Amino acid sequence: MSVSTLVSTARPARDRRTTTIGLIMVAIGLFITIAFGLMVPGWAHSQLTFDPINSAVHAPWHLGALTVVTRWSDVVLGLLAIALGVEVVLRHPRRALSRFGVTSVLFLLALLLWSSRTSGPASVNFVDLTAVLVGSSSLAMVLIYGSLSGVMCERAGVVNIAIEGQFIVGAFLGSMIESTTGNFWFATLAGALAGALLGWVLAFLALRYMSDQIIVGVVIVTLMSSLSSYLNLQVLTPYPQYNLGNLAPNVAIPLLYKIPVLGPVLFNQTGFFYLAVALIALVSFGLFRTRWGLRVRAVGEHPKAAESVGINVVATRYRNVVLGGAIAGIGGVAFMATQGQFQPGYTSGFGYIALAALIFGRWTPSGAVVASVLFGISSYLANNLQSYSIPVSTEVLNMFPYLITIAVVAGLIGRVRPPAADGIPYQRS
Amino acid sequence: MSSLTPETSVRRAWWRRLFAQSPTVLAGLAILLGFVVGAFVIIFTSPVVLRSWRHIFSSGGAIFSALKITADNVGAAYRAMFTGSVISPNLLWHSLSTGHGWSTTLTPLSETLTYATPLLIASIGVGIAFQTGIFNIGANGQAIMGGIGGAAVGSMIHVPMGLHLPLTLLAGVLGGVVVGLVPGLLKAYTGAHEVIVTLMFNYVVAAFLIFAVLSTPLQQPGQSNDISRTIDGSAQLPPLFGVASGLRVSYGIFVAAAVVIFAWWFLERSSLGFEFRVTGQNPQAARASGINARFIIIAVFCVSGGLAGLAGTVQMQSTTHYVDGGFLIGNAGIGFTAITVALLGRNKPVGIMWGSILFAALGVGGRAMQAATGIPLDLATIIQSFVVLLVATPVMITEIFRLRHVSTQRIQLATQGWGS
Repeated sequence: MSVSTLVSTARPARDRRTTTIGLIMVAIGLFITIAFGLMVPGWAHSQLTFDPINSAVHAPWHLGALTVVTRWSDVVLGLLAIALGVEVVLRHPRRALSRFGVTSVLFLLALLLWSSRTSGPASVNFVDLTAVLVGSSSLAMVLIYGSLSGVMCERAGVVNIAIEGQFIVGAFLGSMIESTTGNFWFATLAGALAGALLGWVLAFLALRYMSDQIIVGVVIVTLMSSLSSYLNLQVLTPYPQYNLGNLAPNVAIPLLYKIPVLGPVLFNQTGFFYLAVALIALVSFGLFRTRWGLRVRAVGEHPKAAESVGINVVATRYRNVVLGGAIAGIGGVAFMATQGQFQPGYTSGFGYIALAALIFGRWTPSGAVVASVLFGISSYLANNLQSYSIPVSTEVLNMFPYLITIAVVAGLIGRVRPPAADGIPYQRS
Repeated sequence: MSSLTPETSVRRAWWRRLFAQSPTVLAGLAILLGFVVGAFVIIFTSPVVLRSWRHIFSSGGAIFSALKITADNVGAAYRAMFTGSVISPNLLWHSLSTGHGWSTTLTPLSETLTYATPLLIASIGVGIAFQTGIFNIGANGQAIMGGIGGAAVGSMIHVPMGLHLPLTLLAGVLGGVVVGLVPGLLKAYTGAHEVIVTLMFNYVVAAFLIFAVLSTPLQQPGQSNDISRTIDGSAQLPPLFGVASGLRVSYGIFVAAAVVIFAWWFLERSSLGFEFRVTGQNPQAARASGINARFIIIAVFCVSGGLAGLAGTVQMQSTTHYVDGGFLIGNAGIGFTAITVALLGRNKPVGIMWGSILFAALGVGGRAMQAATGIPLDLATIIQSFVVLLVATPVMITEIFRLRHVSTQRIQLATQGWGS
């Protein structure tokens, strides 16, 4: 029951929103066609390469560079986007959201082609598609941990806004433990335990004392960011041997890693990546195919009804928030293991972006994964497009992931429905 | 309260009231516990203290020396915090007996008030939002934009002070309103949760700040650094005791005082403020009585964002007189502290006033402590976070200290779920 509940009754029908999404897609398509396509001289060429940059991973099958005419290839991409938009406007398909996702990928591809055109402004005159995907995948992986943590907590009816804090504590402890023991297993364990502990604090305050979950979550984040900054100065700066920031080694899966493009992206990753994939499957299966999942969802939707059939609401919530905290803690270790040395504030709001991914994915693990991948790609490009000398300043590019998050939360994706009891304290009557 | 008859409440002795669950007692105990936790953080991160405890079994007196070392270290830190933010007894005695050196003696107090001024204004903005059931985490971004707006008007328009000063303040308010309005509109028309949107705007505005101070109109001419033009003297909030005194506390405290009075009047006496509070306490009742929920959401973001923007420009006009790339970034930020202050002050203007002075003192004292003992400034934020965690869970303090229940409060949430 909230202010927005009252507003929502006066909302226009969903159809109009779908039409709006379609029109936005058409606009994006027109922009691609004109700005990236027709305004480029006809003789400009773009080059796409497919070999991984990391020379340690020798490409077993060398793929030659693909050279295309910038103008016409971008025009084709733009027309595709327009076609998708027109389809959404006219037919109102049920999966308008996924079509919007495709359109954004088309836009990014067109942008890459355009920025790397020959005799363009760029110092790098080719786009390494594999490198882009590999770079994005490690960011997406962290977001997947975060949003899975959110799924675990919110499906049981507790808003876990402290994901950012769990990332921070995971990254901090992960770096310390890995540096002292040289073992990522211990680091992962420590991160999971610390994240679970924070989850327990949130659950304890929210379930036992019925505190405001969002306030407690935000305060936990503030506490963790100040504590980590404090310990960084007190411990890590005088003893740099505790913060070596070793990156986790890649583990190539035999044979599969040799697949061009897909191999380096999916089958030659750190253990954290495979763990994330396993967790996606586990959470997805657990929530929708097991008795445990049914109970969790019942607790998140209608705790009174769940209680009346003998489910222990409070215990279920405790368990899920602690598990969710552990997942986010591992996410923090994974962040450290792919981005390097711990520094205060270097998770830069990823925990909140993971929350947005969760909302975008409509509180389902699979949706959250799709959203995380989109966010991962846009974050990676925002951080790395400077090397292509895009005529947009760095600062404006840095706003991009956050603006996209806002656009997403603002319901570009259509009305989303959270678990009914999400964020509402439960009192046995 | 309803369970108490008038006679018992009159007869209640002061020591019994001391152990009753009143907001002031709860806040005081929360602050006390916050300092205790801070002491433990110091103990567990000071090598000297830890070493002394490692050898407590080696000799009979070792445990006492360990206790003494611990007390010395914690005491030194908190003493530095106090003398750095309130007053140093030695200097005070020196000034009283000789009549000289008042500016050095009063500098800590002046610094505390200087930091408390923008914090108070921003916290009242956050508090008004809380009273309406809106969680504005974006006060920092709104304050940064206020600072940018104030710097632009203060440095690029040249008019007499009587006009320039109010114009600059107004520009700050408008900067905050612009940043606050977007989450408000999005929440009102699309149902986007304000927590995520305002948070994301903090990052967006931080990036915009760098962009603004590196681009032509605002950047200091002839500079390649991320620094803006300095505002004219006619747009500055002058020091209260003159530039010669060396004390930075400025006429900004009058702006803050005006904001406190305005907020009290607004919430307690104005009809819009009444609608705000009704919406916060019972959205259904608000709607049933014909209050336009959508308008209230937008209005509260304008008021809250405007006050945060005012805080930003007051900060800029009374201290640095320019904005740079680090303006209100990281440790210097006031947005999160403003949330904690608003919660500590129970969203009431007067409570917020005391809360902001206390947390400003913590921040200023933290700096002094870092300089004197090397213990990082972040300790102040750690203490603040703990205080708020405790204030947000009054039931826990009641249980820890076995306070008497005065009233069984209905669970009232300041924020709402994801909405829909």
